[in-house]
Amino acid sequence: MECRVLSIQSHVVRGYVGNKSATFPLQVLGFEVDSINSVQFSNHTGYAHWKGQVLTAEELNVLYEGIKLNQVNRYDYILTGYSRDSSFLETVVDIIQELKKANPSLVYVCDPVMGDHGAMYVPEYLLPVYRDKVVPLSSSTQLIIKTVVLTSTDLPSKRGDQFLVALGSQNIVKADGTKTSQKICMDMPKVDAVFVGTGDLFAAMLLAWTHHHPKDLKAACEKTASVMHHVIRRTMTYANEMAGPGKRPSPAQLELRMVQSKADIENPAVVLEARVL
Amino acid sequence: MECRVLSIQSHVVRGYVGNKSASFPLQVLGFEVDSINSVQFSNHTGYSHWKGQVLTADELHVLYEGIKLNKVHQYDYVLTGYTRDTSFLEMVVDIIQELKRANPNLVYVCDPVLGDHGSMYVPQNLYPVYKNKVVPVADIITPNQFEAELLTGKNITTEKDAVEVMDLLHAMGPDTVVITSSDLPSRLGDRFLVSLGSQRKVRPDGSRTTQRVRMEVHKVDAVFVGTGDLFAAMLLAWTHHYPDDLKMACEKTFSVMHHVIQRTISYAHELAGPGRRPSPPQLELRMVQSKADIEDPAIVLEATVIS
Repeated sequence: MECRVLSIQSHVVRGYVGNKSATFPLQVLGFEVDSINSVQFSNHTGYAHWKGQVLTAEELNVLYEGIKLNQVNRYDYILTGYSRDSSFLETVVDIIQELKKANPSLVYVCDPVMGDHGAMYVPEYLLPVYRDKVVPLSSSTQLIIKTVVLTSTDLPSKRGDQFLVALGSQNIVKADGTKTSQKICMDMPKVDAVFVGTGDLFAAMLLAWTHHHPKDLKAACEKTASVMHHVIRRTMTYANEMAGPGKRPSPAQLELRMVQSKADIENPAVVLEARVL
Repeated sequence: MECRVLSIQSHVVRGYVGNKSASFPLQVLGFEVDSINSVQFSNHTGYSHWKGQVLTADELHVLYEGIKLNKVHQYDYVLTGYTRDTSFLEMVVDIIQELKRANPNLVYVCDPVLGDHGSMYVPQNLYPVYKNKVVPVADIITPNQFEAELLTGKNITTEKDAVEVMDLLHAMGPDTVVITSSDLPSRLGDRFLVSLGSQRKVRPDGSRTTQRVRMEVHKVDAVFVGTGDLFAAMLLAWTHHYPDDLKMACEKTFSVMHHVIQRTISYAHELAGPGRRPSPPQLELRMVQSKADIEDPAIVLEATVIS
């Protein structure tokens, strides 16, 4: 498989968020991953302390220029996630537009990170950038976004309140040219902990499994959600072990057990079934 | 296995040098790798063009402070490689000294990158820092012949010279030394180069013993970048699994190198086409494709134990 991903995300010295969360699993699945680190922090911002440096939009452009000057600016996928800077995000958009001209088949996988549980946790002015510039880029030639996955909702699950509902929809153009869409629904077991980096892992794994199952969102989502399940379970077990009985694990203890989950990443046992709607 | 490595090396967006070369293989072998990127460049400096940014000694310190404030500055290994800045290197030494106080069993694996084939390719003022500050706190070093000669002030023209140089390096600090390449004549002819290793141990009764090994390594007609970084990372891994058996650790390490390099050169020639020399992008190590060889390298060379 000769597939090159450009991933523009955070780097943390310790732990698994951003590029740290996305790179290893994609590499383990055989993808070539070029990574631009949008920041370098000691660890994610859920710890008691965090320190580090951010990349400016100008510096991002300089790095891209280097790739371009060497004429190696050809990618099959782009992956982006958490961003806090609108000029940085706009530079990302420019880069992607150029890369799409170089390879019209390029697929842009975008986690439009803005907030959760009813509130934004990035600056408000990122919303129009996402809505008007970023999201329209993850599209086919017909300006229709091909695949959407709602990673978590608080819709009531048929399996009870220990589960949350995720939904997915994929536009497919059939052999005869007609357009159709496949919609699926998954009930995913909730876990009583706050994880960081799981969204980044999800987007990376959705990239991988939609690559292998380009016309079967059900299969792609089952694989992706299953990987998440295995990694989260392993992490939860380890975190509770480290914290000791009756104590809530700390952010450091809750770091994803990524390298320990290599086998599950390579070949995830499917543990949940998506329903076709 | 619960083993955490702090690797302070370059990051390139594209390709496999520095942390890009070291992290994936170590992670695939089950090591937790914390990585501080000393630079972020588009690609390595052997391409026609390269662009990017460097981390200052202060910024390095700030990152380390973050780790320390969270009280997660416990490491089993530290790994460093190519550096161009003396103040950065000195900050690295300070950090390692502090980490060694936090964990006296910490093993510092150091590739003392100074130059090759008779000349330095880092600024000259790095030499005294390596000699007087870095190598003394290192536990495992992977110099090439030029670097070994430079650090000890002694030339290597025979195997006996090499053994003396390695003993001089032991006296400077590290208990494990691997001279990664030399131009000593190989027993297998001129398609091979000679590498040597030496590991000093203290027996339970307090006496000292040294295991020395020699490897005849197949030469490849190409310039690779990042192979030294991969070597140091894999030596870290295999000495971890074979702490008292340098012969085995070297056989595994050199075998991984062989598999990755063979795969890379095949692919590079395929891309370049018949009769054409592959370009730097084409010669990037086939790292992700070599996962199985990294995980479980078939042994393809035998190290000879020498006295």
